[in-house]
Amino acid sequence: MAYNIFVLVKQVPDQGSKAGLNPDGTIDRARAKRMLNPFDRYALQAALHMKKAYGGSVTAISMGPPPAVEVLLEALEHGVDKGFLLSDRRLAASDTLATAYALYKTVEHVGEAVGKADIFFCGLQTTDGDTAQVGPQLAERLGLPQITYCEDFSIADDRKVHARRIIEGGVQRVITSMPVLVTVANSYHPLDYKSFRGAWRIQQLQRKQDELKKYIQTVDLDMIGADAERCGLKGSPTIVAHTEKVGEIGGNCTMHEGSAPENLVSEVMCQTTCKEFLLNLQQKTA
Amino acid sequence: MSEQDLSQFSPKGDVLVVAEQILGELQPVTMELLGAGRILADKMERQLKCVLLGYNITDLAPKLIEYGADIVYIADDPELYTYRTLPYRRVVCDFLESMKEPPHTALLGSTTTGRDLAPRIAAHFDTGLTADCTELDIGPYEHKSKVDPSKIGLYPNCLYAIRPSFGESLKARILGPWKNPQMATTRPGVMVPLKPDPNRQGKILKIPVVLKPEDYRLIVEETIREVSKGIKLTEADVIVSGGYGLGMKDGLDLIFQLSKCFENSAVGASRKIVDLGWIPYQHQVGQTGKTVRPKLYIACGISGAIQHRVGMSKSGLIIAINKDPDAPIFKFAHHGIVGDIYQIIPEMIKQFGQKQSESERGVEAVVSAH
Repeated sequence: MAYNIFVLVKQVPDQGSKAGLNPDGTIDRARAKRMLNPFDRYALQAALHMKKAYGGSVTAISMGPPPAVEVLLEALEHGVDKGFLLSDRRLAASDTLATAYALYKTVEHVGEAVGKADIFFCGLQTTDGDTAQVGPQLAERLGLPQITYCEDFSIADDRKVHARRIIEGGVQRVITSMPVLVTVANSYHPLDYKSFRGAWRIQQLQRKQDELKKYIQTVDLDMIGADAERCGLKGSPTIVAHTEKVGEIGGNCTMHEGSAPENLVSEVMCQTTCKEFLLNLQQKTA
Repeated sequence: MSEQDLSQFSPKGDVLVVAEQILGELQPVTMELLGAGRILADKMERQLKCVLLGYNITDLAPKLIEYGADIVYIADDPELYTYRTLPYRRVVCDFLESMKEPPHTALLGSTTTGRDLAPRIAAHFDTGLTADCTELDIGPYEHKSKVDPSKIGLYPNCLYAIRPSFGESLKARILGPWKNPQMATTRPGVMVPLKPDPNRQGKILKIPVVLKPEDYRLIVEETIREVSKGIKLTEADVIVSGGYGLGMKDGLDLIFQLSKCFENSAVGASRKIVDLGWIPYQHQVGQTGKTVRPKLYIACGISGAIQHRVGMSKSGLIIAINKDPDAPIFKFAHHGIVGDIYQIIPEMIKQFGQKQSESERGVEAVVSAH
């Protein structure tokens, strides 16, 4: 039974690199090093695992400025069959609601091109927005059940999805029918290394842009029939009205440095606050 | 506009908290949200409402009033016994639609449940939702941007949803006064609950539960609580946390060893190493992880980005170890040790272990002297 598997991926600035930081501490997204959202690696793994174990094809969908095509190429290298990028200037400053709307229209468009999805995989959240909202908001637009914080899943013979998801202080085992949207927790299996063959194939493809277009399509709002009023700043019910530097708190850190490790540690230990603290702690547990 | 002009605007709608219970136990984040919601409601001279879903949960309602709610709405139905996205979404959305005036503000906990439910509600109503707020407030806002002329204007009572912004030492104030309810979630442990007042008066009302066939598409087969014993971060007295400065996954062994020097301790982690898959998400401390307030927090190889800081800065005593003397964590730790983790931690295990047993003996001596 072949499944039509969609996976949503996003390109995010690499927080580890200092290259794209403005002097005031904000991110210069044009200069920042770009990467596949780390959480999406688990979604990608889930999608590819499903294809391998149960058969079907995987379509990766992304939204972002033109360089975001890089994450679709990366997905292709890992074994994804097709990629779609929604790229449009009018999407700038979209909040999660506007993003979910734009993705919803993209998903509908892609569904017409490659067939309706049986299952959607998303990362739990992105590292730049940090909201974990877009997955469930997309599920709402699509009118689908959702499995968030999914750690593991299997598909039964009756096409039901059996999944384990994280809840507060525990886990839950759930069963649902398809279509369904799944957000994958980072306790799921890490993404396999890309195969040499896959990477090589994509490298070859990149040399022939015409050939590449068969695998990765870029669409804009008009092509997917989206209402531009519901995208970008206009379609976003929230705005960032104000930012302020976070005041330094504390600021009276007692530093210990420049001597041997045992001295540094005993210096800390000899501090009255530490001594008192350890005593209090001990009294409480005694 | 003068202040007098402002007073003619009275906000529409009340403040609503969507309560959370698991197996008949109210989650602490609910009381915290009531504390925060009470302040917002008082500022606008509005009521604080609370909606609670579950089965056989009516006896929890008085507690919600003690913690600040004016009206508690109860949806009590066997189908709501365990949280499931679609039935809960149906009941909350129907309830909001049945209100004459939608709430001005709706607050949910940023738990696995709240993060599952809140975006569904926000998308259903096409309204704004801000995740993981560290502060909430009510205040004025004047929108001048001409991108969308229909949004221009002065809005005297907006929900200020404040959260640290990405990768930056900046706080962002996010708002959306154009549509009610203005929604936000906050992490457990961030907001402060009121002191419960058993004399507080409030109303308890039942609301209908009418589900549709499509709401039953997901079945919960089993709920297993407390599978990961030993990592109850929010209740630990001592947390030893590891970060990317460990350099490799195996370095976490040392973190676990050090945490074992203390009673009631737990191991935390920075997001970076959770992202890398070195340690499960449940260990993550920070804005998108757990907010913790242990008596002692030992940060090993954690640079101290704002996202981490908001999750642990209220710890009693913070000791940080980092090889970079300019690491931001030294700006808010109480004691900073500049050095190699792989030299410092073994030394700590040696000395902390010793000191603890010494102080233990000290306590025993005091007890026997009495």
